[in-house]
Amino acid sequence: MSELMFVRPVSVRSLPEGTQPVVSLKGVTKRFGKVLANESITMDVYPGRIKALLGENGAGKSTMMSMLAGRYCPDEGHIEVDGKPVRFTSSKDAIAAGIGMVYQHFMLVDCMTVAENVLLGQEGTFFINPREMKKRVGELAEAYGLDIDPAARISDLSMGERQLVEILKLLYRESRILIFDEPTAVLTPEETNKLFEALWRMTEQGKSIIFISHKLEEVIALADEIAILRRGRLEGELDPSAITSKSELASRMVGKEVILEVNRKTVEISEPVLEIRHLTGLGLTDINFRVRKGEIVAVVGVAGNGQKALVEAVTGLCKPPANTVFIMQQPWRKFFAESTWNRSMCYIPEDRLGLATLRNQNMVDNLLLTTRKGFSNGPWLNKKRAEKDTLKLIKKFDIRPGKIHALAWQLSGGNLQKAVLARELYREPRFIVAEQPTQGLDVSATEEVWNRLLDARDISGILLVTGDLNEALQLADYIAVMYRGRILGMLPTSEEATSGKIGPLMAGVTD
Amino acid sequence: MWEFLIPLFAATVQSGTPLIYATLGEIMTERGGVLNLGVEGIMSISALVAFWISFTTGSPWLGFLGAGLAGMVFASLHAFVCISCLGNQVVSGLALTIFGVGLTHYLGVPYVGLHAPGFTPFDFPLLSQIPVLGDVFFKHDMLVYLSFVVPFLFWFFFKRTSLGLHVVATGEMPAAAAAAGLRPIALRYFAVVSGGFLIGLGGAYLSLAYTHLWTNGLSGGRGWIAVALVIFAFWRPGRAVAGAYLFGGVMAFQLRLQAMGTHLPSSLLLMLPYILTILVLILSACFGRRIEAPAALGTNIEPEG
Amino acid sequence: MPLTIIKRDEPWKWGALVIFLGALLFCLAVSAALLAGQGKDALHGLYVLWLGSFGNLWALEGALLKAIPLFLCSLGVAVAFRMQIWNIGAEGQFALGAIGATWMSLLFPDLPRLILLPLMFMMAFLLGGIWAFIPAFLKLKLRVNEIISTLMLNYIAILLLDFLVFGVWKDPASFGFPMTPEFTQGAIIPTIGDSRVHWGLLFCLIVGVGLWAFMRFTRLGFELQASGEGARVAKYAKIRYGMLVMFVMFLSGGLAGWAGCVETSAILNRLQPSLMVGYGYTAIVVAWLARLEPLNIAFASFLLAALRVGVENMQLELQIPAAFGVIMEGIILLTVLAGQFFLLYKLERKHSS
Repeated sequence: MSELMFVRPVSVRSLPEGTQPVVSLKGVTKRFGKVLANESITMDVYPGRIKALLGENGAGKSTMMSMLAGRYCPDEGHIEVDGKPVRFTSSKDAIAAGIGMVYQHFMLVDCMTVAENVLLGQEGTFFINPREMKKRVGELAEAYGLDIDPAARISDLSMGERQLVEILKLLYRESRILIFDEPTAVLTPEETNKLFEALWRMTEQGKSIIFISHKLEEVIALADEIAILRRGRLEGELDPSAITSKSELASRMVGKEVILEVNRKTVEISEPVLEIRHLTGLGLTDINFRVRKGEIVAVVGVAGNGQKALVEAVTGLCKPPANTVFIMQQPWRKFFAESTWNRSMCYIPEDRLGLATLRNQNMVDNLLLTTRKGFSNGPWLNKKRAEKDTLKLIKKFDIRPGKIHALAWQLSGGNLQKAVLARELYREPRFIVAEQPTQGLDVSATEEVWNRLLDARDISGILLVTGDLNEALQLADYIAVMYRGRILGMLPTSEEATSGKIGPLMAGVTD
Repeated sequence: MWEFLIPLFAATVQSGTPLIYATLGEIMTERGGVLNLGVEGIMSISALVAFWISFTTGSPWLGFLGAGLAGMVFASLHAFVCISCLGNQVVSGLALTIFGVGLTHYLGVPYVGLHAPGFTPFDFPLLSQIPVLGDVFFKHDMLVYLSFVVPFLFWFFFKRTSLGLHVVATGEMPAAAAAAGLRPIALRYFAVVSGGFLIGLGGAYLSLAYTHLWTNGLSGGRGWIAVALVIFAFWRPGRAVAGAYLFGGVMAFQLRLQAMGTHLPSSLLLMLPYILTILVLILSACFGRRIEAPAALGTNIEPEG
Repeated sequence: MPLTIIKRDEPWKWGALVIFLGALLFCLAVSAALLAGQGKDALHGLYVLWLGSFGNLWALEGALLKAIPLFLCSLGVAVAFRMQIWNIGAEGQFALGAIGATWMSLLFPDLPRLILLPLMFMMAFLLGGIWAFIPAFLKLKLRVNEIISTLMLNYIAILLLDFLVFGVWKDPASFGFPMTPEFTQGAIIPTIGDSRVHWGLLFCLIVGVGLWAFMRFTRLGFELQASGEGARVAKYAKIRYGMLVMFVMFLSGGLAGWAGCVETSAILNRLQPSLMVGYGYTAIVVAWLARLEPLNIAFASFLLAALRVGVENMQLELQIPAAFGVIMEGIILLTVLAGQFFLLYKLERKHSS
């Protein structure tokens, strides 16, 4: 299903007898308020090997690694480096101990150059010389065969190049233990492949790698050993060669049988709800496609290839050129001038806290945010009725905690997304724009969101923008692949060959 | 013509000098990611401290240093409220201004109308011989000459020292600075407190060089103009100097007109710098390519774990 | 045992009140220290402050009188702050309101009160509103920082007021003092019964309740609060953010303008520079202490007004400069800001492992 092309040079490497771990976690526990993020975790990391840390979103992988990287301090238990207990109070201590981490959201300063970012905190002297810094970083990049200009500004680099900068940072610090938090999320299949090769090379030089992921096929392809984390606990460690099937691994990760596929009943397809004709501008080039009622069209691509502009143009956050976007068969301008609060368009954005919801307001106010016209009577707002309907929705969608006075920031990611979905579906939309609707959700919440979206096809057409190819393949009728502001292909998911075509298109290869 | 212009330009340099110190101080603070609207308050109180120390010890240099220290103390109040207690930066700065101006009026009462030893102008050796430029730039007091050097030190600090790089990183993305093993909280304290030092020097200039006489309301909105100049300067020291002299020029021009006894009412003339501030902000929005503020400016660093 | 910072799961319920009282205590302690530092008897000073603020009916009336303009300005500041529009120009908008009211009273001195007073209020609201509308417009069209533009307009407004009372509006019979002629009876808000308190108090009550109902029960009020979370959310929710910013600033300035109108008409009975005593800045302190809630604003403005009256008493009896009150305001606000940390976080002893 995935486009992973990486083939490991040798099969799973066995651990030589008597190898001492470089880093060990001994009974480490971490709490955030009432939430137990990690519970008495004991784990060893050996030199020259790739350890995959597999787990769902929210299982505690990032917390665990942030403790190794010195960002958090364990509440109980301790960490050992080379057999000696250590206490990290900041990233500085971890860096000194040879542990480096590439975070999921890159820790790079956009307005500074590559060289400045790599050397940040490692300049060595109080006075610095920019030319000398560039030279040092350039030499380092060359030594490891990484193609990057040390004088370039981070803001001008692609996501793949930014990751190279992060890796350079670790190499410069001569880290022995390199932690990668979901590194492939922002990469094309091609770049993923390159990254994996680079990781492999590094282990051959004796470095240890911890690779955090929730993508099973990547883990199976790359790791020497797999540790599974579930709800903050270490579920067990296993040898990839002993894995018989992917679904077995998945169910160990989730803790129950996982349905990796959803049932898609066919729905009658009727009139178009979105039509885009020759849309050029906003960083987009000649976009043409339509979404009809009853179907889901997925837009996939590596982040930053124009998806954001497309979504903003369609949802009214920014203005497209005239006569390019038609929603519910009306020109853009007319549609947004006349659109009603219900039976119209709704938008489920990627940014749930801060765009889709009011961070510091309660559930009722958050319901009212987009439905307020449905509760108004002249200038007045009927809050009593809104409260009643909020309660109903909380029950129907099982949003926890089930209180209307809960503030948006107090909700977990999954519950917040359910709340947004509940509100937007309350509007009986005819056209839904869903942007990364399951990002960061656990499997059961993902399943629920998927089913709700599929059910919504009865009344509406859906534009799904996602970075998760599996999601696109599961839900969509058509998949549009975006690359540098263009749609390079519109592929029907009903055809077997589609899944194989997506990867090259995402990298801009069209033949 | 020159008889009118040279004294005007020389007065421009004089009125611009406190703005240079204060604007650079605020740039320092904001580069570290903290908005300090307390400039007006810090300038007032440090002007008083400078006056008081110089008055009691007879040494303007001690007063000058004391003003810098007072600036640091007051800025650290803001730093504590915003950086350690995550208070709203806008409101905290306002509170600091209210407090600082109030305290100045309260403590300054016994000194109103008194003189203190201050810095006196002298001809800078050699350079003052240059025609025109010598008259404009090199017949001032020591603090003016110092203000010629500070912007270069400032530039050097940000471009050529690792600490400068760290401050910028903290103002742009504190998380990245933390991940690189730096201490963003400490760096922000450093930016705010050292910025406060410079702002304090600006205050010292007012009571020790601009005038040697203590009056209430000496800073007269200069602190706020400095905050505006930071935006005009796009957080760059060079443009800050240009902006400071622009304002210095308008203030000097306005005083000159009053002294010459025009029939324009003084209240209208006094409006000029404030109107100019708004105009300058409009112009820098219209023209200047849009250079954004430090990305993390005004946001607090939430504690983790 | 080192302490660690822990985020609370629920905001601290009575925290705001506890922090406020704590800040008040701290402020009194610092004030006492300041008094002692000047060689005055600190306890006696605080006692004089108390007597001046709450000691007798006269003091309470004085506090109520000062609370009226503070309350109106503060409501204006609060609606703007709610939307995260940092209007710190209440002082200037207050001045423009006073100018507007004076203009009407000088233009139509002979109109009956029932026509002239509404006319003055209208003009005060209009001018105050326009004064606040300028920064709103500049912010939206040119992204000019409203903090600085509102503040600069304060200075300009005060100088404009000076210009008028030193020039065209100067009372020929004032022996050169900068002031307008005294208003006619029709332009003066009468007092309630035999007290010193005037009918502006009732006006405040109506405006306060009206604004509270507006924020709570109307769609526009809801949209205003929602926009407080940022322009992006507003745009997402199809709220017309730009229009709302201009409306809110106009309203905010208009309320401060009303304060200026009430103060000139009921207290000074003429326009003169001594009108500007910094209510606009104190209003910011009040609004933030009250956490931007109209009912709290009523209490907080009364409290800070009482403080002002008390300090006036200290000024008379102990020759303490008036700035003493401003210092106390600054300290309270700084302390409350620092203390608000504890609304979301708490400190706990670290479990040592």
